[in-house]
Amino acid sequence: MGRAAATAEALIAAGAAHAGVGELRAPTAVDAVDGVQPRLVAEPATADRLVATLGWAADLGLSVRVRGGGTKQQWGAVARPFDLLLSTARLDAVVEHRHGDLTATVAAGAPLADVNAALARHAQRLPLDPPRPARATIGGIVATNDSGPARHHHGAPRDLIIGCSIVLADGRAAKSGGIVVKNVAGYDLARLMTGSFGTLAVITSATFKLAPVAGSSRTVSIALDALEDAAPLIARLADAPLTPSALELAWPPARLNVRFESVEAAVVQQAAEVVRLAGDSGRAGTLEGEAESRLWADYAAGWNASGTLVKLATRPTELVPTLVRLRDACKRDAVEMAAAGRAALGVVEVRLRGSAAAQARIIEHLRESLPPGEGSAVVRQAEPELRRLVDPWGPIGDALPIMQRIKAQLDPAGRLNPGGGPGGV
Amino acid sequence: MDSNFLAELERIVGPDGIVRDDAELATYESDGLAKMRSRPGAAVLPGSAEEVQQVVRLCHGAGVPFVARGSGTGLSGGALPRPDGVLIVMTRLNRILDIDIPNRRITVEPGVLNLEVSQAVAGDGCYYAPDPSSQVICSIGGNLAENSGGAHCLKYGFTVHHVLGVEAVLPDGEMVRLGGPALDNPGYDLLGVLVGSEGTLAVVTKVTLRLLRKPAAVKTLLAAFDSTEAAGNAVSGIIGAGIIPAAVEMMDRLTIEAAEAAVHPNFPQAEAILIVELDGAEADVTALFSLVEQVCTDSGAREIQVAQTDAQRARFWMGRKAAFAAMGRVSPSYYVQDGVIPRTKLPEVLARIRSLEEESGLRIGNVFHAGDGNLHPLVCYDDRIPGQPDLAQRVASDILTFCLDAGGSITGEHGVGADKADQMPKMFSATDLEAMQRVRCAFDPRNLCNPGKVFPTPRLCGEVPGPYRAHPVEEAGLAARV
Repeated sequence: MGRAAATAEALIAAGAAHAGVGELRAPTAVDAVDGVQPRLVAEPATADRLVATLGWAADLGLSVRVRGGGTKQQWGAVARPFDLLLSTARLDAVVEHRHGDLTATVAAGAPLADVNAALARHAQRLPLDPPRPARATIGGIVATNDSGPARHHHGAPRDLIIGCSIVLADGRAAKSGGIVVKNVAGYDLARLMTGSFGTLAVITSATFKLAPVAGSSRTVSIALDALEDAAPLIARLADAPLTPSALELAWPPARLNVRFESVEAAVVQQAAEVVRLAGDSGRAGTLEGEAESRLWADYAAGWNASGTLVKLATRPTELVPTLVRLRDACKRDAVEMAAAGRAALGVVEVRLRGSAAAQARIIEHLRESLPPGEGSAVVRQAEPELRRLVDPWGPIGDALPIMQRIKAQLDPAGRLNPGGGPGGV
Repeated sequence: MDSNFLAELERIVGPDGIVRDDAELATYESDGLAKMRSRPGAAVLPGSAEEVQQVVRLCHGAGVPFVARGSGTGLSGGALPRPDGVLIVMTRLNRILDIDIPNRRITVEPGVLNLEVSQAVAGDGCYYAPDPSSQVICSIGGNLAENSGGAHCLKYGFTVHHVLGVEAVLPDGEMVRLGGPALDNPGYDLLGVLVGSEGTLAVVTKVTLRLLRKPAAVKTLLAAFDSTEAAGNAVSGIIGAGIIPAAVEMMDRLTIEAAEAAVHPNFPQAEAILIVELDGAEADVTALFSLVEQVCTDSGAREIQVAQTDAQRARFWMGRKAAFAAMGRVSPSYYVQDGVIPRTKLPEVLARIRSLEEESGLRIGNVFHAGDGNLHPLVCYDDRIPGQPDLAQRVASDILTFCLDAGGSITGEHGVGADKADQMPKMFSATDLEAMQRVRCAFDPRNLCNPGKVFPTPRLCGEVPGPYRAHPVEEAGLAARV
């Protein structure tokens, strides 16, 4: 079937005549994704208008990509031609903060930093800290299941989401879960939405369980001589009766950052214990206050850059050996590499710099040692050239057909982020 | 059932792996929800994942529905058999396959009991966090189907937070692996959908679970209050102080009496008791525990017992975990309800339950996972008195309405099963249910895998996508084909 061609003007005029369809405009250069220009852009001001807009788009058979803060447009498969860029940016409210229940419902377009500023009024937070919190929106974070150092203790979006409102491909509004933290009624579609890259439905709001903001914090930062030295220390820390809120490995230079957030006496005691455990395996310093905040701000800023980001996941004990092999392979192939991430979970972000061909070789080589289930190397962010050379997702395993069937059931015409989902669904 | 079909089943599982005798099949006619009964056409006890796969494949080929069953402790009729179907009893798949302490992983077959997992790794200082009250008998496969919680899920989450990977047989007999020992396998979060799908999407044959290190310190207190409101205020005060206890459990007068009569935990006489448990690093627990004691005192606790020994702590929990079964001591029959409310709505919902008690004349005991708002009202009745079973059922159903009015859920952990399928439209719109059933159609288009559970009406899974039709933009006259 050839693509039907209608001008943006004709579509905007048609949309304007359609009740409830919201805030259509012609695209500009900043709306292009991987160089692909949409035919029109919708920026609905309310969830109702978003529903109406999607219904209208469905009637016209328009293909749709969703954009929140636009921080992850270079993630996943290279964009295919599409019709409508649907922005959630104007749906930016904290819909309801039930602080007594430690839950909040947040509109999809709300930037994470704004959400947490609002929740802080009751000394609570959504304990997610992926990069670029000032721009990254709740919808985008859920759609990519993105997280940061706090995942060590609090989990990823899929662990915190308790319900969501979505719009199905045909433009009908639906919901899953609810506003209570414990709930097993019906299938958990909210979890299905996490990491689905906007291919199954459009998220309009999500409800999360929250965490209290701790009164005190300390970070023990341990400088190591070599990446290899990290493995025994990570094992020692993981085996100790400690409750860190983050346990981050960064390289180069090799460093472990171990954070505690609780009452003063507890963070002091636990930080001291980490210093003791580190012994002479590294140079440990304990940070608090301004210096500690700066360390984490700098740490996050290091991952804001453009360029290639690969999410590497292994069994926790395989993490350092895998990184060492990767480091050596990069050296051979003149690819620059850096890594940082969740040491005890076995999940790190790897940054690569070098020719696209060399990066592609490195990634393919890395995947050979990671069969499905035992690990993965997913290209999170990269220039289109690299994402054409190498499948961003890598092997999905034998569950791919069932994922394709889910996509076919929820979006039979394949109009939502065409080809942009895991495994190209 | 067709004798050729039965012969095929027997060929797969062997003569000692099939139950065809009507009297023996009676064993399987209900799960923990005894009021719903149905004798299966046949029951099989496969001894391996391959046998499970062959049984499912045979059923799929013959169009025969099948229901997987673990220990049969479910409280919503999720494992209620079909007279025209095969019951796949998973109890023989009870091997622990791999223990990986450095990575805190364990891989087990689904028939392994919940408590056996923690016992297997206790010597290594580890445990498996979800701890439903039935943990001595319920199976991991059943926990996975129901997304089981337990008293400690307030802090540690539910089964879905602890399952890292599964091997499962899809309803057409295909074997798939989802997730694994490493996190973040690329693709849709199928584990997130499968866990809690009540056996309607697949039959799980292998499970990899996350283990936790035993906390350095555990401290437990029992506080007695003159009213459930005061106890509820204490819970709000604890959470409001920024404390996430490992567990906060509440029992009211009737359930305290019942537990006392059954297992003698030596609970104080009170209108309500709270059991609050903190765990974690030593300094955390010490600092926060005194805060909890203060909040309880400020909320009007007239007695606080702090467990000084493991034995005393075990006694508190024995009293709590025995509460359901103990109701038999104070009432000939009782109906266990499972609903959820936002925790802050506790006083208003409790008041409505009290009025319902007065109106109906039936006594209602209350056990709560108070931290997360999960209520377990126990509606007492006498099934020898005509009309009382129906009345109890109505009262229990009204309580669910109260939960929904408060913004809650019709089930927090017992599941929808066969019992509450007809309640689903009260909580979800037709579109919500359709979206869920589309997912089901992706897994089980022929509606053979535990049919009749979760959804009030089955959805016919049509063929998708449809045949070619003119692009609607063309039909709308907005464009011509280029």
